[in-house]
Amino acid sequence: MAPLVIAETSETPNILMDKAQGKFQITGRSIIDNASNFYQPVVDWLKEYAKAPNSESLVSFKFEYLNIESSKSVLDLLTILEKINGASVIWYFNEEDEDMEEIGEELAELVTIPFKFEIYS
Amino acid sequence: MSEEILKALTQLFAIITKQDGGVTVNERQYVIRFFQQELDQASIQAYLERYDKYSGYSEKGPAHQLTIAAPSVKDSIVTLGICKKINRTLTQKQKVIVLIKLLELVGSDNKFTPQRMEIINTVSTVFNISAEEYKLIETFVVTTKMSDLDFTDILVVNAQPEKSAKKQKHIQTEIDGNLFFLKVPSVDLYFTQYLGDESHYLNGFVMQHNRIYLFSHGSTIKIQSGDALYYSDIIADFNEELQTTKLSFNATIDEYRFPNGTLGLKDVVVSEGPGKLIGIMGASGAGKTTLLNVLAGLEKPTKGEILINGYNIHARPDKIKGVVGYVAQDDLLIEELTVFENLYYNAKLCFAHLSETEIADRVQEVLENLGLETRKDLKVGSVLDKKISGGQRKRLNIALELIREPAILFLDEPTSGLSSRDSENVIDLLKELSLKGKLVFVIIHQPSSDIYKMFDKMIIMDTGGYPTYYGTPVEAVSYFKRATHQAHSNRGQCETCGNVNPEQIFNIIEAKVVDEYGQPTNKRKVTPMQWHDMFKSKFKVAALANEKEDPPQSLHIPSKIKQAVIFATRDLKAKISNRQYLLINLLEAPFLALILSVIIKYKSAPGGEEYLFRFNENLPAYLLMSIIVALFMGLTVSAEEIIRDRKILKRESFLNLSWNSYLVSKLGILFLLSAIQTLMFVMVGNFILEIKGMTLAFWFILFSASCMANVLGLNISSAFNSAVTVYVLIPLLLIPQMILSGVLFSFDKLHTAISNKEKVPFVADLMVSRWAYEALAVHQFVNNDYEKAFYPYEKEASIADYKSAYLADELLKQNQFALNHYQSDDDSISRKVGVALTIIKNGLSNELFKEGLEGKNLNTALTTQGYSKEFGQHFELYLTNFKKHYQNVYNEQVKTADLKMAFYEKEGFDLNKEKNNYYNESLADLVKNVNTKERLSVENNRPIQLIDPVFQTPNPIHPLDYRTGFFFPKKGFLGVQYSTYLFNSVAIWLMTVALYIMLYFELLRKLLKSTGKITFVNRK
Repeated sequence: MAPLVIAETSETPNILMDKAQGKFQITGRSIIDNASNFYQPVVDWLKEYAKAPNSESLVSFKFEYLNIESSKSVLDLLTILEKINGASVIWYFNEEDEDMEEIGEELAELVTIPFKFEIYS
Repeated sequence: MSEEILKALTQLFAIITKQDGGVTVNERQYVIRFFQQELDQASIQAYLERYDKYSGYSEKGPAHQLTIAAPSVKDSIVTLGICKKINRTLTQKQKVIVLIKLLELVGSDNKFTPQRMEIINTVSTVFNISAEEYKLIETFVVTTKMSDLDFTDILVVNAQPEKSAKKQKHIQTEIDGNLFFLKVPSVDLYFTQYLGDESHYLNGFVMQHNRIYLFSHGSTIKIQSGDALYYSDIIADFNEELQTTKLSFNATIDEYRFPNGTLGLKDVVVSEGPGKLIGIMGASGAGKTTLLNVLAGLEKPTKGEILINGYNIHARPDKIKGVVGYVAQDDLLIEELTVFENLYYNAKLCFAHLSETEIADRVQEVLENLGLETRKDLKVGSVLDKKISGGQRKRLNIALELIREPAILFLDEPTSGLSSRDSENVIDLLKELSLKGKLVFVIIHQPSSDIYKMFDKMIIMDTGGYPTYYGTPVEAVSYFKRATHQAHSNRGQCETCGNVNPEQIFNIIEAKVVDEYGQPTNKRKVTPMQWHDMFKSKFKVAALANEKEDPPQSLHIPSKIKQAVIFATRDLKAKISNRQYLLINLLEAPFLALILSVIIKYKSAPGGEEYLFRFNENLPAYLLMSIIVALFMGLTVSAEEIIRDRKILKRESFLNLSWNSYLVSKLGILFLLSAIQTLMFVMVGNFILEIKGMTLAFWFILFSASCMANVLGLNISSAFNSAVTVYVLIPLLLIPQMILSGVLFSFDKLHTAISNKEKVPFVADLMVSRWAYEALAVHQFVNNDYEKAFYPYEKEASIADYKSAYLADELLKQNQFALNHYQSDDDSISRKVGVALTIIKNGLSNELFKEGLEGKNLNTALTTQGYSKEFGQHFELYLTNFKKHYQNVYNEQVKTADLKMAFYEKEGFDLNKEKNNYYNESLADLVKNVNTKERLSVENNRPIQLIDPVFQTPNPIHPLDYRTGFFFPKKGFLGVQYSTYLFNSVAIWLMTVALYIMLYFELLRKLLKSTGKITFVNRK
């Protein structure tokens, strides 16, 4: 399965989905008006991946900023991951960004995947 | 609403209101009001606290200053979570209502800030409400600028003459401000909102300014100026399909009387356009079904007319055909077919222009619409042997009419016997139909409040066929309350729950006068006539202008031949799937043949050693039994056919299908069945009894008889109303066939009125059994492999023998009498002489042997005047020669036959064996009538040969005279002689054709109907 790579811009995050290396990362800012369009390739990739997943998939989210539209898409991604056995989430947030921590906590409540919270500086 | 959902909503309210500056007092007031509607007094406080906690509201002061720029992404995610929870429990309709509540909440203080709106937008996407629809709903709630309301799904009622935006719909009436209506197309819900200073009443309650109300089925808004806006009218304005359907239905029934003269309906006026669901209610015996039948055109009003788009339903059936659909109260299903097949064949009869797959798709679609697709391959089954539930049966019945989409549909109690859920489904379905532009009339009994309100109009009938109300349903309650001066008469429905109690109406209508002890008496407070007068004075039914166009038709009836094929396949399929029916009908014939032939087969040879066909004395009786069996099978198999289909025919009468095609299809199947049955009977019977070389000939006669019985059976089946009557009738039809078959009772020994020694009596000619029997017996005797070779000689010999042995002696005797007495003066003797001479003349009328009579005119010589002694003696001589001549002829024929026999023997034929195999002595005795004591009898001054009918030739009096004695080998007609077998077959088929014509015109039914009108006067 070919890896999915989307380069970072000032308003969109960097995305790396690589089954062979076991790397699943979304990093950066997500301030997108039409977020569901932007995340559609990721949704498709994950759906395909869900058919034959690795025994463990550790997905990391590291957002500097997240707008409302994007948060809906993130929830969509999480509901797909929910159905993959062995999937878990690492939610990175900046020490000073309590909002981002709370967003992570709220999301964790909405889905059943194990969430780990990591602070970065 | 469940507690969980309420909690979720509370949280949702809180999240939205805390955005952009926090909760205002008005918004909180709105939430409190919402709680008051949904909760009991005790719980409100708990929920309000919960709301305050989430929203950060504090009574001490405006809390919003503390929570500036709340973290909206987090709220958004919480919102997502809540909405997902809601998604799992609420229906789409409920979700739309929730969305509108949220918008209304924000609108309560007009704080439509970006973050609030974004959250509501989030809610809408998670609820799967399309972006366009959200825009529509949002605009409806938020906008105050009229020109922005540019949607086809928004209707504005105001006093302005013009609409304020292009797409908008508009009604002008005397009203302050604007009354708005919104249609949410995806869920088919309507909302209304009033912005203005007047007080208008929605279902009897004041509409508050700036509040959004659900405009549910049957709602009414009374505007201050006195007008009323009814749900159905508003819907009609929204519904574009309705405006393009050209339909007007105007019924004026001044009077309808039953055939026996009693009054059925009086002064009913119904006038409706497309897209209406009309209910008909009334106590039992009020004439609901009568009204429905008259409106549907099944019965003709005694005075008055039914006009559809200006065409009289009775006078112009060509224009009306296919426009009207009718669902009777009883099942109209073909029980042996599956749900799918029932619909499929019905569709095939309606849509000749569609291909097989298109029809199948259409059927599939209807099944899905009615929630029957999972049941489609189940057999419908009878009412007792149910395969599908009562509700499903009912829906299938309706589906049969729905599939062809008639413009006007009549239903007789479609909800009777259904659970309340099923009833609601059925009425929902009808409502949907009406919204598609159909006009639907429904008889409804004890409807629930919800169902009652779904109707656009209600016709209420009172005992004796008097209409007492015709108008919107909720209004009916008010009208009757008002009429009896009850409190709260302007409120038709319950203040808090909006329920209507239709029973109230009947309690009022049928209220009884109470006696001094408080017991209700039998006397009604207001008689039907009084209600009717009151109704006439209060309501004027404005007749709708008749549409000029032809009414919409969706029917494409197949050609008559195709119809017959469809009818036949449907029928055949039903019969094949009824295994019991099939088995009995197919096994009946061979089984009867088996027991019959086994029982009558015995050691018949003269020594009693073995069975020989030649000596089987039971053959004549066997032939009769075969015919009776064929007739019996033919009758039983057809007798129930039309009765069973009658209801289905009633429905299909609206399709104007061909009666002829239907009958032809019936006959096709019945004839096929008869052919199989009789073939099996003949094969088994003839095999066991060793009747050789006769299978085809026997079969054709039995088959013909059976077919005739089929048509006879269909006749009685079409004329009588119950299967029992028909089966009781069968012996009545069969016994005369046996009596007058000519076998059990000889035709010359019947009652003098019908008895005839010379020819078969005329009444017997009406019996198929006589024709069939004669054909079988004569054919078996004349054409069996043995007799065939000798028949011509035996015939000549028989004729000669009769003439020499019996006729000559008789004529000599008569001549002697004439010789002795021709000079007598006694009148009576002289008359006897005349008779004797006539007998002689008649006896020789076709005589070829005239030797010695050359130059004598018998016509003058054989009269009392012309007769002389000389002639008498000469004539005696002639007769002696005559006798001798025929003795010689006889001897010659016998000799030739003997020679022929000898020739065959020499060729190696064992003639005795042949005779044993093919010739039956008993039958020969029967057709030769050897048992008769007198060989010759004088009838009407004419010597009649009684012996050997099978060797005689017919002697027609005129060309049309086909009549002969029984067992004559030939029949003459129009100067040609036909073999009895052929002639009799034609006779049987002519009877069949005559019966078919009777059936086609339903003569028997009409006859019975006309006699049914005779009533027995009851003298007291």
